Amino acid sequence: MNSRHDKKFASIENVQQGFKDAEYICNKKIATTVYLAYHLEKPILVEGPAGVGKTELAKTAAAFLGVSLIRLQCYEGLDESKALYEWKYGKQLLYTQMLKDKLNDVLKGAKGLSASIDKLHEYNDIFFSRSFLEPRPLLKALQQKDGAVLLIDEIDKSDNEFEAFLLEILSDFQVSIPEIDTIHAETKPFVFLTSNNTRELSEALKRRCLHLYIPLPDPKLEREIIRIRVPGISGKLRIQLVSFIQQMRELDIKKIPSISETIDWARVLLLLHADKLSTDLISETLHIILKFEGDIKVAEEHLYEMTRRAIKEAAI
Amino acid sequence: MEQILKDFISALRSSGARISIPETIDAMNTVKLTGYHNREVFKDSLSAVLAKSFHEKEIFEECFYRFFSFDTFSENIGDYPESLAPEVMEEISPLSQMILSGDLGGLASSIREAAREVHITGIQFFTQKGLYIHRILRHMGLDKLKLDVKYLFQQDTFSSKQMAEKLEKGKDYLFENVKDFVEQQFALFSPSVTENLLEDYLKSIKLSNLEQRDFHRMHSIIQKMVKRLNDLHSRRRKTSKRGQLDFRKTLRNNISYQGLLFDIQWKKKKIDRPDIIAICDVSRSVETVARFLLLFLYSLNKSLARIRTFIFCSNLIEVSHIFDEYPVEEALVKLQSGMGLGIILGRTDYGQAFRDFEESWFHLITKKTTILVLGDARNNYGDSQAGILKSMHERGKRLIWLNSEPRSFWGIGDSEMKKYLPCCHLARECNTVHHLERVVDSLLSLES
Repeated sequence: MNSRHDKKFASIENVQQGFKDAEYICNKKIATTVYLAYHLEKPILVEGPAGVGKTELAKTAAAFLGVSLIRLQCYEGLDESKALYEWKYGKQLLYTQMLKDKLNDVLKGAKGLSASIDKLHEYNDIFFSRSFLEPRPLLKALQQKDGAVLLIDEIDKSDNEFEAFLLEILSDFQVSIPEIDTIHAETKPFVFLTSNNTRELSEALKRRCLHLYIPLPDPKLEREIIRIRVPGISGKLRIQLVSFIQQMRELDIKKIPSISETIDWARVLLLLHADKLSTDLISETLHIILKFEGDIKVAEEHLYEMTRRAIKEAAI
Repeated sequence: MEQILKDFISALRSSGARISIPETIDAMNTVKLTGYHNREVFKDSLSAVLAKSFHEKEIFEECFYRFFSFDTFSENIGDYPESLAPEVMEEISPLSQMILSGDLGGLASSIREAAREVHITGIQFFTQKGLYIHRILRHMGLDKLKLDVKYLFQQDTFSSKQMAEKLEKGKDYLFENVKDFVEQQFALFSPSVTENLLEDYLKSIKLSNLEQRDFHRMHSIIQKMVKRLNDLHSRRRKTSKRGQLDFRKTLRNNISYQGLLFDIQWKKKKIDRPDIIAICDVSRSVETVARFLLLFLYSLNKSLARIRTFIFCSNLIEVSHIFDEYPVEEALVKLQSGMGLGIILGRTDYGQAFRDFEESWFHLITKKTTILVLGDARNNYGDSQAGILKSMHERGKRLIWLNSEPRSFWGIGDSEMKKYLPCCHLARECNTVHHLERVVDSLLSLES
């Protein structure tokens, strides 16, 4: 990471404020972890339920630092040729065909087979040089001159083997390409890994990272987030809406609504020019917060009392 | 402070968090960065460096709270005589002085000091508590304190008698506080030893004797076991001849032939994974064991890609989806109560169960399938249908029977085990985790 950002990372409060300016409300814990990650030059492993803003955190960090975000989405079967680098086979092939005629010029004056080969050796492995290298996200992140934010999204979806392969990059910020050499980072990138905890990550990976757990937000934080992300919404509706969502999280449903769903819902209500919640309005827009038919049924049963409580809370 | 951090980390370790040496170094660096002045920041930053999963975060919270609480002296010792004669003050020991002047902070820190001197971190068993209390008190100078009390009584003035009484009272408080402190430290530093002992014990105890409260520990033991064995055995990949053309690899390999494609590479990789069908008896005769067998199946279900699970009592049903959908406790309760699943929990009927299986799911058995039957083979003198089991045995790769009863009971009374035995590749007694471990090993290994 570049020392030119030192000013931005001078204190934890600076980080918190900077993120707030980039429209990301983070609590002290998140700010502390980001601050530490910058100074210790370590990747952050972010865990938490879906939709609490794990990916958003990385995006905001990129905006905060003013560098580009390089994203690697993990999935089962992801391997190094898609994540790290690949040779430009087509280009190699094309060049060999084109340069065939040049071969005579190159070998001019060489007598015998071994002399010819010695002559060829003078040219090194030109076909396996950097100009034939197709960088994939990981390598790209290491090559950025100004540094970058590297987001390795949903690492738990990838295979164990891939996780092991990441270790070199995460601890030393370098990759070994057998044909060329070890490539070191120009400027160490700021790395975020996110995980939804679908499987346990290896100890080795965890050891190399700082760990951050982002839980679902408390009402106060959630209201603040809505205030920043959906500025047009009225104060009363904001309180009602957050209270309603918070109650909904207590229900026995399959997929509890996350922050991103709250934001979506707030935007929809704003579009509908709503200024307060009502049971009709909620049941019409319930499909925005809940994504399963069964969940909607459960929520509808409790709709009336939850709405009443939400309205009551806003009245205080 | 470094010492305190080290103690804290060893407390975390003994509570079950796994902390490596690099992480300890990180913790030191972190503290250098953030400092100690803000408790919240201090906690958050240590938590980011040391606790690396949700479970560990919980451990961390609790440990942090216990370790960094300074409420050792909860009660005030009382009022103190205003005027102490300086010559008396000079006579008595520093400890007594602290008690008399009500220096609670000083007392707390001297307890900690003494505790460190006597290596409280070495405490392992609750029987050592008394020993450590005694050692700490002695190190703090309890003997001198006792002498002081005696000395003050002998002075024979009103104020000195009053002081002696105060001191006597202070001594009791001190004892109470040291006791609390040792309790606290015991809670922090001892569990790992006890836990290890308990784990060994749990592994060899009969499954039916296990109590509900050990269920979670058991779950984690089984999970560990399944994961380890799975890691060991499921990593075989071999390139097979069928499948898609791997264009990149082909091009690359053929560059040396001027781009003529005659060394063709294929994409498909074949992963050898065990393919398992598990059939588990959940009737009353195996009720207590069944819970743990189901637990075992649950863990298997989570770590193996291809496993179909069935349970039976009077009839047989498939339950793989239950395992997939619900967390472990809920799944087990659901399966054992059988509510809404269409299972009849009447008399155990192995014959009916096998007939049900043959009718609906027999096609699942391929020549790679391992069939796992868990049950005591007590059929209430019904039709055993050993013929179906025999055809399952012939069709599949292996048939393993795990019986919760010891071998000597097989075939006695209504047990049909003797009839089933010839249809099994392997039949084992299975009622401890050690037994399970051996079975899983043979289950996942591909050669045997």
